[in-house]
Amino acid sequence: MHTFKLPVISGLFGFALLGGLWAAQPAPPVPKVRQNDLAPLPATEKAAATHAPFEAGDCRLCHQRADPASPGPLTGPVNELCLSCHDDFQKIVAGKTGHAAARESCVSCHNPHDSRQPKLLVDESATLCLSCHETIKNFALHSPVKHAALTDGAKCLNCHNPHGSEVEKLLVQLPLNLCLTCHGKDDVTDHDGRKLTNMKKLLAENPVHHGPIASEDCSACHNPHGFQNFRLLNQEYPSTFYSAFDLRFYALCFECHETSMITEARTATQTRFRDGQTNLHFLHVNKAERGRTCRACHEVHASKQKHQLRDSVPYGPKGWALQLNYTKTPTGGSCAKTCHATRSYDRARLPEEKK
Amino acid sequence: MPPAATTVPASPKKKNSLGRLLALLVAATLWPAVWGFAAVAVGDLLDEAVLPDLDGSPHHLLAGATVNVFIFFKPGQEHSAAAIRQFAALEKEFAGKSVRWVAITSDRTPRAEAEAARLAAGIAMPVLIDAGDALFGRLGVILEPCVGLAGADRRLVAYRPFAKVNYPAVVRAEIRHLLGEIDAAELARAGNPPPATNGGPAAAAHRRLRLAEKLFQAKLYPQALENVQTSLEKDPASAPAHALRGQILAAQNQPAAALLAFARALELDPANAEALRGKAGLANPSP
Repeated sequence: MHTFKLPVISGLFGFALLGGLWAAQPAPPVPKVRQNDLAPLPATEKAAATHAPFEAGDCRLCHQRADPASPGPLTGPVNELCLSCHDDFQKIVAGKTGHAAARESCVSCHNPHDSRQPKLLVDESATLCLSCHETIKNFALHSPVKHAALTDGAKCLNCHNPHGSEVEKLLVQLPLNLCLTCHGKDDVTDHDGRKLTNMKKLLAENPVHHGPIASEDCSACHNPHGFQNFRLLNQEYPSTFYSAFDLRFYALCFECHETSMITEARTATQTRFRDGQTNLHFLHVNKAERGRTCRACHEVHASKQKHQLRDSVPYGPKGWALQLNYTKTPTGGSCAKTCHATRSYDRARLPEEKK
Repeated sequence: MPPAATTVPASPKKKNSLGRLLALLVAATLWPAVWGFAAVAVGDLLDEAVLPDLDGSPHHLLAGATVNVFIFFKPGQEHSAAAIRQFAALEKEFAGKSVRWVAITSDRTPRAEAEAARLAAGIAMPVLIDAGDALFGRLGVILEPCVGLAGADRRLVAYRPFAKVNYPAVVRAEIRHLLGEIDAAELARAGNPPPATNGGPAAAAHRRLRLAEKLFQAKLYPQALENVQTSLEKDPASAPAHALRGQILAAQNQPAAALLAFARALELDPANAEALRGKAGLANPSP
C-alpha cells in the first residue's frame, strides 16, 4: 500500500523532527514594548521616511525645547503626543483587538524623527514583527511546508494590520476574504511550484460550502504561518484516495467532527448517513485496507451537491470520472452506478426490514 | 448513567412576528453564513428537552429567557476548550440580562472530565449530560463545539459552529441582536467586519491638518501653510482645511487670499465656525 505508507512515514518523520516545535507547551510571552534607538539618523544619511513635524523643524511640537541639539523631555506621554495628530488610530489601537505594542507605545515600532525604513519603522517590517513574535518566527523558519504570504510582498502586513482590526489576530479581513486575495487567482503555486486551485472560482461554482468556509475561517484547517503537513493542514489528514483507517490520520476532521461518526458500526444518532442503524460512514471508511478517505465521497471545500458530495470520483490510471449520481430522499438517499451498483439507504428502516 | 433526556413536545406553532421573520430574512441576506443543525434549521421551532446536570438535577434546554444559548462541546477537545473559555467570558459579559446558558456534552464523556472542563473554563452555566446522544441525534449535531441560540418563542435563531477567528464576536452580536441592543446591520457587520486599513488619503489629509493646526498655534506660519496645502492636496473638499488656510493667510497679512479661502470653506460648509469668524474678523478688523 505504497499510496498511504509514504505520507504516513513522512508525517511521522516530520513529527519526530519537529515535534518539539508544535508540542503543546506555552508560547513565550510576547513583549509589549520594544526598546529602540530613537535618535535621528546622522545628517549624512538619506532617510526613507521623515516625520513631518521633525521636517517642519520645531522640536517644541513634541519636546520642551526648540533646540535640535538639546530638545529636552517630551511635553507629554508619547502616545498622547502621537495620537494628537494621528487621532484616526485612537479608536482602533485602544479597541479590544488593538495591537498591545501600539497601545503601550507607538515608538515600539516607529521612530518619531526619521528612518531608513518606510512608515518610520525602526526596522524592516517582518524583522520588527518577528523580534517579538518568536513562536511565529520559529514556525516560519522551521516549517517544511512554507507559505509565500510570509515572505512575499508586504510579508506579515499582507495579512495583519499592526495597529488593530475588528478581526482577531489583527487580521486585515476575515480569513476567507484575506486568503482569496491571493488564492482567488489562476496562477498561484505552492512552495514546490505546483499550481493551486483558484478557490474564488471554485466557491462561486460550487454553492455547498464546508462549514469552516461558510464561517469564512480557512484557519480552521490550514495554518497560515507554515506547518509540517501538506497544504499547511493543521493536523494529519491522508493525502490519498484510499487509506487504512486510524483515528490519528484523520485528526484534522476530528477537530470538529465526532469520532463516533466513523468508529461505531451501529448508531441511531451519530450520523445521518446510515441505513437504519447501520453506520455507512463506518462501512466506507473504517477498514484496515482500502478505507476510503473523506475525499473519496466529499469535496473538502465546496460542492454542487448537498453534504459536500462530489459529482464524481476518479477511477483508474487515466482518472476516469465515475458519476456519483446521488439522490437525496427525506430519510436517506442513494448512489447509482458508481463505485458500486445502485445502493440506497434509509434512516427510518427498521432493523428487521430488508432492502 | 444519568437519566435520558426527556422530550417535551413543542407547543402549537404561534404566529411568528413579522419583525422576527424580517430580521431573519435581513440577517440571512446580509450574512450568508446563516444555516442550522443538520436536522433543525434556523427559524424552526425547537422541542423542549429536560437533561440532567453533572449532579443529576434536571434542567430544561430552553427556559423562556429572551436569549437561550446552548453549547455543545466535547471535553478534552482543543476547539471545545477554546470555545467554552470564550463563552465563560461572554457569560460574565451578559450577566444580569435575560440570557440563559447551558453547556451540553455526551454521556460518553466521563463525568470527571466534564467537571474538570467546566472548572478549567470557569463557566457558571450548568453542564448537561445528553444520555445516549438523544439530543445530539434529534438536532443533528455533527460538529463540536457549536452553539445554538433560541428566542423566548423557542425558535432557533442562530447556529454557529466553532471558528478560530472572531467566534465570540459573532456569538456576542447574535445575543445582542436578540436582546434588541443592535440592529440587523450591526449584526451583519459583526459577521463581515470591514477591512482594517491604515486610513488612506483621507486619514493622511486629516493628520496633516492636525499638524498644521499645531504649527499655526505655535505661530510657525510658513510651515503651517505648507502642511495645510499638503492636506488640501489629499482632500480638496475639506472645509476645516480651507478655513485654517484662511486663518494662516490672515495671520500672514494676506487678507484677500484669506477671504478667498474662507469663502471656499463656507461653500463647502456654510456653518463652519472658523471660516465665519475669520471672514467677520477681516470685514471688521479690530482697532
